[in-house]
Order: sequence, then C-alpha cells, then structure tokens
Amino acid sequence: MEARVAGVPEDEESGLLPRPSAAGRRPSAAAARRAPPQPVWATVDGPLGLPLEEAEGHARRFFLWGFACLPFLWAINCCYFWPVLRSPATSSSSAAFSQIRPYVVRSAIGFTIFSVVLLTWATTFIIGGERLFGPGWNDLVMYNVADKLGISGFMG
Amino acid sequence: MADAAAATVPGEPSSSAAATTTVLDSLGEDITRIVTPVSTCMLLVVLLVSLLSSPSSPSPFTAAFSGGGGGGGGGGGGGGGGDDIATALITAVTFVVAVTAATFLLALLFYLRCTPCLRAYLGFSSLSVLLLLGGHVALLLLSRLRLPLDAVSFALLLPNAAAALALAALSPASVPIALHQAALVAIAVLTAFWFTLLPEWTTWALLVAMAVYDLAAVLLPGGPLRVLLELAIERNEEIPALVYEARPVDPRHGQNWRLWRERTQSGVELDANSTVEVISEVLGTNHGANSAGNLGVSAIRSDEQVNLSGDVRRLGTSMPNLSSDSASAQVEVLPASPETSVSVPEMRVPLIQSRPERTRDEEDDEDGIGLSSSGAIKLGLGDFIFYSVLVGRAAMYDYMTVYACYLAIIAGLGITLLLLAFYRKALPALPVSIALGVVFYVLTRTLLETFVMQCSTNLLMF
Repeated sequence: MEARVAGVPEDEESGLLPRPSAAGRRPSAAAARRAPPQPVWATVDGPLGLPLEEAEGHARRFFLWGFACLPFLWAINCCYFWPVLRSPATSSSSAAFSQIRPYVVRSAIGFTIFSVVLLTWATTFIIGGERLFGPGWNDLVMYNVADKLGISGFMG
Repeated sequence: MADAAAATVPGEPSSSAAATTTVLDSLGEDITRIVTPVSTCMLLVVLLVSLLSSPSSPSPFTAAFSGGGGGGGGGGGGGGGGDDIATALITAVTFVVAVTAATFLLALLFYLRCTPCLRAYLGFSSLSVLLLLGGHVALLLLSRLRLPLDAVSFALLLPNAAAALALAALSPASVPIALHQAALVAIAVLTAFWFTLLPEWTTWALLVAMAVYDLAAVLLPGGPLRVLLELAIERNEEIPALVYEARPVDPRHGQNWRLWRERTQSGVELDANSTVEVISEVLGTNHGANSAGNLGVSAIRSDEQVNLSGDVRRLGTSMPNLSSDSASAQVEVLPASPETSVSVPEMRVPLIQSRPERTRDEEDDEDGIGLSSSGAIKLGLGDFIFYSVLVGRAAMYDYMTVYACYLAIIAGLGITLLLLAFYRKALPALPVSIALGVVFYVLTRTLLETFVMQCSTNLLMF
C-alpha cells in the first residue's frame, strides 16, 4: 500500500482541508505519488519561518513600509526571502513564489540604490575631507557635532 | 492496510531506541546554543568597556591604594567621592523595590488582559534603548576612535537601524531568527553598558540585590514572577516579554516553533483533563466521517510518518506513559483510515496532548530560565544584562578578573541548566551565577592577583 501523504488534495474533501496544511505543497500532484513531497519554504529559516501563504502579505508590507525612510526593512525583506530571490525562474518552486518574488526583487533594488547613494556620499565626505568641503567639513563631522551639542560625555 | 500497520509497529521500537541517542546528541548543542549568545553579549560589553572607559575616572588601583593607605584596607573607601556602602545599599534597595513594583504592575496588566499595553510598553522600551543608548554609545565610539562619519549619514542610519532592530526584537515571526537573536543581544549589550557606568559599590550591591530578588520572585509563592507565570500557564498564553529563545536543535522537532508561539493565542484552551476526551473525539471522527476535524490548532508542515514518530519520540522522553500509549494507538489508526484528510488531525493530537504539559514548563518572564513549547531553552534578557554587568565591572579592574568571572558565570549557567533539566520548572537564572561571579571576583582580586604578582616579580611563572 502506498504511503499516504497528508495534505495532498486528491479527493473531493480537499476543500475541507484546513488551508495551512494544503499550502506549501508542490503544485504538481504527480510528483506526490512517488515520494512525500518536500515542503517548499519561502524563507531563509526553512521550517521555522513563515508559512507560504503569509509570506506574500509580509513581503508586501515590508516593501511598502520601506518607503517611510526605512530602507533597512528592504534589506530585511531580501535576507528573509533569500530562497525566493535565488530560485531560478523556471524551477517548479517558483510557481509558489511568483506572488512574493516581485516585492522581494523591488526591495532588493531599492536597498541597492539607497546603499549606493549613502556609500558614495560617505566616501566622498571621508576622502574629500577639508580639501573638498572647506571649513564646512568640521561642522558636519559627527564627533564635532556631538561635542558642540555636549552629548559625547558620559550619560547620567 | 495490515502490512502497513505491521510495518509501522516494528518501526516504533527502533525509533524509541533512537530516542535516547537523539536527546543525548542534542543536549550538548542545546547548551551551546544558549552559552554562545551569553558569551557574545559579555564579550561585547567587555570590549565596549575597555574602549570607552574614560581615563579621567579614578582607576580601581589608585582608589584601592588610597583607600588602603587611608583607612587601612577593609571595605571602606570604595571609588570616588559619594560612592560608599550606605549609598550603594540604598540605591540597590530602591532599584529592587522599583523592579518589584513594575513586575506586579505587569502581572496586573496581564491579568486584565491588556496585551496591547504590554506590547506597547515593550516596543517603547526597546526602541528607546536602541535609539538613545545606542546613539550615545555610537557617539562615544565615534569620538573616541575619531571616525570621520558625517552628521547626515549618522542621522539617516541611526533611526533606521534602531527601528529595524526594535522590530526584529519584538516580532520574531517577521525577521530571520538570527536577526531577532542579534537584536535581543544588542539591547542587552546596550543596557548592560549603561549599568556599568554606575559607581562601583552601587553596581555590586545592585547585582547581589537583584540575585536575591530573582530567587525570591520566582520561587516564593507570593513572588511577582511566580504569580505572572502561574497566570500564563492557567490561561495557556504567552507573556509578551523580551526573552531570548535558543533555536531548537532539530528543526523537525521544533516543527512549528514560531507558529506555536503565535497560534497559542488563538488556539484551543485546553487543560490536562480534556486531553483524553479530545483524543477519543478525534478517533471517533476518524472512524466516522471522512471529514478533517478542524481542531483549530496549529497545522503540521511536513507529513512524513517519520515526523509523527518523531513527535511521539519527543513526547516519550518527557511525558508520562499515557501520552506514548495513546500516541502509539494513533500510529496504528493512521494506516487503517487511508484517506488523507484524517491523517492531519491525527497528527495534531500528540501536539494537543503535549501542549498542556509543555506549557507547565514555559517560562516567559524576564528573569528566569525555562523550556519553550518546542523544548528549546529560554533565558530572560535580564539575565543577559546582569551577567554582562558583572563581567563589565570586572573588566574595569583588570582582565584577570574578567576571565575568572566569565568562567564562574558560565559554570553557574551550566548548573542552572542542570537544575532545569532535573526539576523541569521555571528557575531563576541569576542567583547561582551572580554568587559564583562575585565570590570569584573577590577571590581573584584579593588572593590571585597578589599570587600572580609575586610569581611574576620573582620570575617564577607567567
């Protein structure tokens, strides 16, 4: 008798199956007959991470909140959904990822743009120094600003 | 069907034989996964203290000499002016009273089910620690190391990083586990560094007072932490708190680690009396209609037979016999009803069974150690903080005391974990480690140092 596998929708009652156990399966039912299908994880944490149906809402939320001057949320989005980013576009798991992928890719682009801009500015500042900025450099350097505001001493 | 049933039953003894090796195999790694973040936190605090302790504050050496020369040794004198034992004791007692009051308030809010209040308070405190203390430490580092970072980038990066880390600390389900744990360690490092800025005698008095408070609060029947814990168990809920939870060693065993944490809120309220009824009810529905009994409990991700026996194994090592008997009955029932839809609720049953037992081991408060619903070890962030304060204060004296105190604290943590495995209930993690740490600090500073000095000056060793 073949091993029965839970969660594979193969009978009429599949609609009664609770959704969380139905999601996360490979869409191809043919592969399910051979061996128990490996569940597909969208997150870098694997079985400990988000289930697939929550992943899309999560990716979208982080992408939208990143526009509130919080580009690190984009970075977290990319790191968290690294398997989505790295899975090739034609593999069978990408069908499940197709909802998540646009948000993650856009988050990656956004974070890359932000970090390039910031690094360019910071490097220019450090290397240029006073030669480039003139006396204004001393007004912009953080430790001078901190001294001026008197917050670099011990607190409390 | 019969051959499948026969095939599964012989599978049972071998899997139960493998059970003992599984527990022993993962024990060392469990301990490593809790000792590593504690050590990292202590290391970071020692680094920060070594880098940032300003040379203008009186070094313990000169203070000891002046104290020794003036008052003739003993415990008098201490550090600079205003740092005497009386002030220290008063400050420590005030702090303990404040913490007790805060914990009772927390228990009251939890009792009144004001979970949004608690979460808002947690969010506010973690965000303020990361923003204010983190910004302050960053500024100190920039000033001390003369790194030419400009104000614009700093103003961009600091709130960003603080918001991201606060989010990571508060909602572990939305970020990678590594980031969540790193955020908790960062909060602990910053708070511990701030505590090391206190005068010396105050710090030591505070540590001892907190150790005594922890012991009383968790073990005495009227203690605030015990009250909080009993409330949480009674309601089968989790207290929203900053708690470090080690990643479960076997991801298969910790299958729905974080799903459990979230769905416990909305899951079925069960107590031990109802488990037997639940099992029979599920069996009844299995033999009856082919419907998937939606018990509203967390779903299983993987559906392999191995996973079911894995859960049975895990229960078998720690649960009473009742669970393993009924669970093995589940295994035989499973092949008998071949339709897939019933296998899902059956595989859920061992989890329901375990949950009321497991939650007795759950310890969610900020100053205790316990076991989570997946068997991973939980350590409150307060413990991280006070361990690091002890080591940081030892670092202000000399590195020899750092090594001695570090070893003492890790030994104390090991002893506490051993007691935890033995008693299987929530235990205070501070007393043993702080006691050992203080004893070793005093011994090192008084006895070992003179010994090492004499050996070195006489060219004997070191």
